[in-house]
Amino acid sequence: MDPFVLALWAVRLSLVALIWLFLFAVVRVLLRDVRRAAAEPGAELGRLVVVASPDAQPPVGARFPIDAVTTIGRDLASTVVIGDAFASLEHAVVTYRGRAWFIEDRGSTNGTYVNGSLVDGVVPLAVGDEIQVGRVRLRLDRGRR
Amino acid sequence: MTAAAAVAPRGLARIRPRLRRREAVLLVLVYVVLAVGGLSLGMTRTGEATVAGWQLLVTYGLALAFVHLAQTLAGRRTDQVLLPAVGMLGGLGLLVMIRLPQDLVTQDVGSLELGLAELQTLWLCLGLGVVGVLAVAVRSDTWLRMYKYTWAFAGLALLALTFVFGIDQGGARLTLVVGPFSGQPSELLKVILVVFLAGYLAEYRPLLASERTTLGPVRLPPLPYLAPMLAMVALGMGVVVVQRDLGAALLFYVVFLAMLYIATGRAAWVGLGVALGAIAAVALFLAFPHVRDRVSVWLDPFADPLGAGFQIVQALHAFARGGLFGVGLGAGLPEIAGRLPVPAVHTDFPLAAIGEEMGLATVLGVLGLYLVVLERGLRIAAAAADPFRTLLAAGLALVVGVQALVIAGGDLRIIPLTGITLPFVSYGGSSILANALVAGLLLALSDRGIEPPPPPRTRGPIMRALRGRGT
Repeated sequence: MDPFVLALWAVRLSLVALIWLFLFAVVRVLLRDVRRAAAEPGAELGRLVVVASPDAQPPVGARFPIDAVTTIGRDLASTVVIGDAFASLEHAVVTYRGRAWFIEDRGSTNGTYVNGSLVDGVVPLAVGDEIQVGRVRLRLDRGRR
Repeated sequence: MTAAAAVAPRGLARIRPRLRRREAVLLVLVYVVLAVGGLSLGMTRTGEATVAGWQLLVTYGLALAFVHLAQTLAGRRTDQVLLPAVGMLGGLGLLVMIRLPQDLVTQDVGSLELGLAELQTLWLCLGLGVVGVLAVAVRSDTWLRMYKYTWAFAGLALLALTFVFGIDQGGARLTLVVGPFSGQPSELLKVILVVFLAGYLAEYRPLLASERTTLGPVRLPPLPYLAPMLAMVALGMGVVVVQRDLGAALLFYVVFLAMLYIATGRAAWVGLGVALGAIAAVALFLAFPHVRDRVSVWLDPFADPLGAGFQIVQALHAFARGGLFGVGLGAGLPEIAGRLPVPAVHTDFPLAAIGEEMGLATVLGVLGLYLVVLERGLRIAAAAADPFRTLLAAGLALVVGVQALVIAGGDLRIIPLTGITLPFVSYGGSSILANALVAGLLLALSDRGIEPPPPPRTRGPIMRALRGRGT
């Protein structure tokens, strides 16, 4: 057989093979990304970040990974403990229902505020909203995946 | 030592080159594919071991390297898979353009007369320039976030201009000619529409997710807040439909529904949207003869194989000739009686050219590359810091993915053929530049060093409406 025809045949098949090699290389990178994301600890629904805290309890910048039900208050059994004199023992509850966040005031003395407005009943919460409990302000952030 | 570091300007101190090893490795693979492809074409054409169009391939490779280097030097932590994947699609498209007869498209630039592949190289380099500039320079998304209505009206104005100054081409009035430049505004409009929808849905998401309008037992979305968005989408799509750019209309509608679902998470709305879309499709079928033609050609192209069905029949034959591994670049069927076997092969049917000369394996590979782009986009969306960026990234990725799906399905006679381009592969300045815009924005959004999103609004009609709900 003509060596040139043979070479051409090899070249054009190796082109197809190389395109697939590239695709596999890409998919390997994607798989590694997915595995690394899955291996990272703390798959959390969201997190509360302390934005302002006059008594530094908790300190500004502290992050609380939160789950579907999160209690906020001065009580040490709360998920997020607020060491502020203006916070009630059982102050507020943040819940994740299906696909949206909600916050409810638990009859606190000084009230709970979302973006500066008083919470009355159950109020939807969006990522990025600021919650005020006592003098402590917390921001709801997206969790890490 | 520390004092000296503190004296350096803050802006400069933050720029630190950062190696992008994965991107470099994948780009080398792209270069190897381009070289082997050029060699395959050159050997078939000349009978010697030459690389066809090596000047163009080297130019394109340099442009890819430029985007890689720009991001490396600027120390950007952007996605490292997107550029090689898009670069591979663009490279395969360039190989097809080098293979096709160069007089399909010609343009005189000064004394130079540029052919198809030269023009495509020019557009690809310009597009990669756009990608590089967006990936390196965009540090904030305020310019997209704050001016969504401005962008939307600019897009619609562009479409209106096409009405007035556009020229007819192949039964559809799509091309806008301004001086020596011509372009298809609907390509740009898809990017603008995604930006507008992302801005609008991100702002009204809390309201849209809480169903309030009830009509007896039926719970409806809060219609007053949906109205402006629906009006904008309907206006854009109406104009596109009147211009007979049905592929773009389908693309806009699918992307709109997908983004609505991502924003609200309500499958029922998507069902409603699909039902409305089906009704609209039937209405279009009854109202426009050219839609009826498209559907009848799709159902039975062999009824009129030399007339209306010619293009699709030839494309199907091309796919069949290619088989599993193709007949080899440059070895496909030459022109029949002075014209190409498949009309508009460089814009609507590059997939048929790939299928004939590089086979089913490569067609599947190309579709896999679109899946990769889609996966990267959705991953960037999932990792984004706020709803606007999530919606923007997801919408941009979906535009590319859905467009590839619509035209690939049309080429393969899975759905009726609508003339839109295969992203990054097809010939065409508007298409390349619009998709480069998409790739560049996705890269910018994937940067972990991008400016944090602004705090949410606490005043305004939306918050007032939400507050009213609580009581």
